Amino acid sequence: MDETVAEYIRRTVLKIPRDEIKTMLQKWGFLSEAQLQTINFHQLKDNISQDVVQLCEENSADIKQAAVLDIIYNYIYPNKRVWSVYQMNKTGEETDFFDLTDFKKKIKRRLRSALKNVTVTFREYEDNAVWIRIAWGTPYTKPNQYKTSYVVYHSQTPYVFISASVLKSNLPLLCQALVVASNYHDIREMELRSHSLNSLKDIVFKRYSQNFQTYYPKPLQERDIAPETDLRIIQENKNEKERIERVNREIFGDGPQPKLEFAQYKLETMFKSDPKMDVLDKKEPFRCLVKFSSPHLLESLKSLAPAGMADAPLSPLLTCIPQKARNYFKIREKKGLFPGSFVSP
Amino acid sequence: MEEGKAYSLNGVFAHLEMLEARAHEAAVKQEETEQQEEKLARLKARVQELRLQRDELRAKVERQEKGQLGKRGVMSDPAQRSAQAVLEWKIKSIKATLQVFYLTGISGKLTKRGVCFCISTAYEGTYLDSYCLDLLIKPEVRIHRHSVPVFIPLEQIAKKYLQTDIRRFLSVLSDHLNAYAGRRYQADQLQEHFSDQIEGTLQRNSLCNLLVFNYNVSSKSKTFPFKVRLLYGDLCCSLPTEVVVSCPPDPPASLAETAAAHSDLFRRTALHKAFRSFSSADESVDGAP
Repeated sequence: MDETVAEYIRRTVLKIPRDEIKTMLQKWGFLSEAQLQTINFHQLKDNISQDVVQLCEENSADIKQAAVLDIIYNYIYPNKRVWSVYQMNKTGEETDFFDLTDFKKKIKRRLRSALKNVTVTFREYEDNAVWIRIAWGTPYTKPNQYKTSYVVYHSQTPYVFISASVLKSNLPLLCQALVVASNYHDIREMELRSHSLNSLKDIVFKRYSQNFQTYYPKPLQERDIAPETDLRIIQENKNEKERIERVNREIFGDGPQPKLEFAQYKLETMFKSDPKMDVLDKKEPFRCLVKFSSPHLLESLKSLAPAGMADAPLSPLLTCIPQKARNYFKIREKKGLFPGSFVSP
Repeated sequence: MEEGKAYSLNGVFAHLEMLEARAHEAAVKQEETEQQEEKLARLKARVQELRLQRDELRAKVERQEKGQLGKRGVMSDPAQRSAQAVLEWKIKSIKATLQVFYLTGISGKLTKRGVCFCISTAYEGTYLDSYCLDLLIKPEVRIHRHSVPVFIPLEQIAKKYLQTDIRRFLSVLSDHLNAYAGRRYQADQLQEHFSDQIEGTLQRNSLCNLLVFNYNVSSKSKTFPFKVRLLYGDLCCSLPTEVVVSCPPDPPASLAETAAAHSDLFRRTALHKAFRSFSSADESVDGAP
């Protein structure tokens, strides 16, 4: 077995939390159950990984199998990477019969014809998602297994989730391969990025809870009536509180919000000051960048009004994030109600 | 004055105490009398209540007796139909209306700025998911938001019919969604109940309009691997338009026939039902001596 492969497997196993190593190796399926029984999973991770490498040596593992283990790790822990969303367009109206074997063949062919040295690995999952792992090399060097790009694509959808590696130069090639293989015409990057892959999926596939007013019989959810602990305390602002709750629920829905870490607003608006003060000599846009960060941005926005820190309803610039499927905005001057977020392509 | 002085010297507090005690007694007495009066008033009210009830019951009995002598059957006195009964009837009829909406599959509700439609899907008696559409009416009919899966060609259907014929739009969309739900249901049922007959993985896609898999056919106590490719060309249909069943090379004659028969079956019946017929056919074959 190649030294580099052994080292790669060793390092991949070290990334896995100790309690999960056995299950992940079972999912991998490269080592037999009998072989797994011989490993003591209670020892130090260093030793566990050495044992695993030893067994892989016996089975003559090559980089292809090691790559599969890496995909499994990233599938279970996708939040360690930053994911961007790309949108594809097509003009035709023909029905797409997505053939997985065909798709994989096309991608491999496209990438390998451009770059001889590239490792491409696929893995399909139950939710019609294809995971693609690409390790990039150059015409003169072998693929660097530690600088990988990941692509997640759900068949027959126009969205691709890419976690690019540091080597951005290979991105155009990757995009081209995806467009051709999935029968689309072009692809562009959306202004939507996050660590939480599932939340990005929720936003573009509209899987987050939207409050639709329907007659569909839904079981009434018991709303928590806060126990009146002390009758001597009277809520003077009860009406206002209820109004805020209602408005909040209309905007954000009842369920959990998709998990985003930040929203960035690039302002290119004119500085509005008292004309007498005349702060700036030249009338040029005041460049300013506003960034909201949070471990869970949308949940914190949802709790702003009930906590009394902001007025309800919140600014549409904040609440439109899931619906517009973007968390990077450019705000320019607009003669209208509020500065429109004109998308710069 | 001297008395007053004597008082002022030693007995002021004692005097005050005495006055306090007297006041307290008077208050207690007053409270007692008040309570008794209250009690009396309550009992009087109770007596009135009971008298009223007695009168009512008496009247009722008299009416019933009269009724029995006079007409047959019980005459429902409109005065007797309480608000409770009306409310119950209203709730029942609303539930029935909702049930009708649920059964037809498309229900709509007016909103502040337009209409919200909910399309329910079902396949052969099993209710599946529901999808909602929030439409705005002004300045033109357009979709505000929706929960339709992204691989359903909603924009195409909307471009064709939304402005001109909303009914057609909803009907076409409902066809797409129901067919998709049906195809997905068949594939799920196949994977759930007949996984032992399938070799390897079932290749499918989001729309479930292309299924490729291998399955085992047993004939004369030998199993043969068949490969099948189901293409669902019509997105509004839950049966395939193209079926290719291939046997292993050099098959015995009967096997080729079986392949053709299976191909025909897949074209006509639901996937899981086709497989169910295979297993029952096998059983009948094995049962024969």
